[in-house]
Formats: sequence, C-alpha cells, structure tokens
Amino acid sequence: MSFEQIIVSENAEQLEESELSLLETLDHVLNRGLVIAGEITISVADVDLVFLGLNVLLSSVETAKEVLRKRDVTDASV
Amino acid sequence: MKLYAYCLTEGLDSVSESLRGIGGARVHLVRAQDFSVLVSDSPGDTVTVNRENALAHAAVVRSVLGETTPLPFRFGTLVTEQQLENYVTARFEALKSKFDHVRGCVEMSVKIIWDREWAEEPQRESPGKPGASFLAEKRREILGSKARAEAAKTIARWLEGCLGETVRDKAFKTDFKGKLLVTAALLVERGSIEPYKTRVKNARVERPELHFLASGPWPPYSFANIDLEFKTRFGVS
Repeated sequence: MSFEQIIVSENAEQLEESELSLLETLDHVLNRGLVIAGEITISVADVDLVFLGLNVLLSSVETAKEVLRKRDVTDASV
Repeated sequence: MKLYAYCLTEGLDSVSESLRGIGGARVHLVRAQDFSVLVSDSPGDTVTVNRENALAHAAVVRSVLGETTPLPFRFGTLVTEQQLENYVTARFEALKSKFDHVRGCVEMSVKIIWDREWAEEPQRESPGKPGASFLAEKRREILGSKARAEAAKTIARWLEGCLGETVRDKAFKTDFKGKLLVTAALLVERGSIEPYKTRVKNARVERPELHFLASGPWPPYSFANIDLEFKTRFGVS
C-alpha cells in the first residue's frame, strides 16, 4: 500500500499544494505525539514557518508563538 | 551524547541504512522492552524549530508507516538511552494499550473553514459596572461569537455523523478564532481509507459553503500521547 499524503482543499488555487503540505506537516509534528515529560528541548532562534492569512493551520502558528513567548519570558528573567 | 527520538514501533527489526534524520544523522533502532525506537545521535542539547528539521522528523516517522503503525514522539524529544528504557519500562502497559488502539490504522485530518461574518451579540451596558463590560468584551475577543462557537460544534457533530463507522477514533477541536472552525483528527483503519475518503467527498458536496482541507494518511500523531509523570518519578532534569 502506498502512503502518499493527499492534500485536498477547496482553496487549492490560493495556496500551493507544497505550502499546504508543509503546514499540515508542521501542525502534526510540532503539536502532537508522545511526550517524555521534560525532554522536549527546542530552540526557536531560527523559526522558519509559513504564515497564512487564512489561518488554515492556526494550531501550528499558535504553537510557534507560544514557544517564542516562553523564550522571551526566559530571556527577560535571566 | 543524547538521542533524538522519532517514534516507537513494534515488530520492526531494522531500518534502511540510508535513512537520515535531524541534521542528516543516520537513523537506527534502539530496543526498549518489546518495542523498537527510531533514533539518531544528537550532538546538541536543543533542536531548532525550522522547516528542515520538522520535515526531517516527519519523514523518518513516515518511513515506517508502510510496514507498521508507529507511535510518533513529539518534535524535539532528546533523551539518553537509559531515559528511553526507563520511560518504556515505566509506561509499558500504557504503551501496549496504545499500540492495541492504533494498530492497523493511520491518521487522517480534516480542517473546515467557513468564510462568513458572524454576528456578535450586542454589548450589554452594565451601568456602574465598567469592569463587567470590559471582561465581557475580553471574553468575546477570546472566545469569538457564541453563534460561531455553536456552529463549529454543530459542524463537528455533523462531520462525525458523516464519517460514521469508517473512523475508529476521533479528536475534534472547535475553539478557534477567525475562519477556521473545526479541526478533526481521525483514526482510520487502513482498509477503510477509501470508504472514509468517499464519506469526506460526500460531506463536501453536502455543504458547499464550507471549505475543506483534508490530508493524510499520517502516522497517528494525535492518538499517540499518554500521560506520564516521568520527570516526577525519576527526577530527571
């Protein structure tokens, strides 16, 4: 069985399928999955995300913003 | 040196020698109890959130999807081999149960966007209570209109009904602002993917005013996590 990832959108003409695929990937990878508590160690010095006006993947954007906010708080407290 | 952990698998004895992960590091298997963990060596103590690393993580987890249903780790999971062993030992039964739940399945995703304006409730003046008005306005900002929230829940229930028995498990979210109304993560048996797709297609026809973003199959990211008091129990910093 092949596992091609299929993006189907009514607004496909507004977004490149590659952009949709990237956003969907980020939405899954950054926000979900098994967590070994205390062992998620990420840095966001070089966040490279695609922001969309449609808020299609709000969860990915919000995850990145949350991480940035926490980093700012940490930096401010040092 | 720490290990970057991609996913937990069962029944996997080897991975391709050419499989590469974060930073181009070679991916290999580490045995932990009855399971195998796909890992790669990580020279640093942090993992940068960027396109390249996120895609590398996703690609490694996806690479085994044809052979088995993995339990993906969240992006950025850095552990020692001992911590990994401790984690699996401590949560063995829960992980076995989780594998029982997702075995033979994949995750499919649906996001629904409705491009319409939502009527806000009229702001009720509270004479002499400016604080109450302020809080009510803040609540509206945070939660959006009530009509919108109700519509999102109704659409989620409708979609669930459309998909019916093609779905083994589901996780809906409706607490969004803006045009995104509903996100759905669906656990679908591999043999039910085509009937599932047909149901999604029919749903789109039934509600032409809604925009659907459907994707998959994915490894079951949304159905993988189990609660774990790892740090508390083992005092790992």
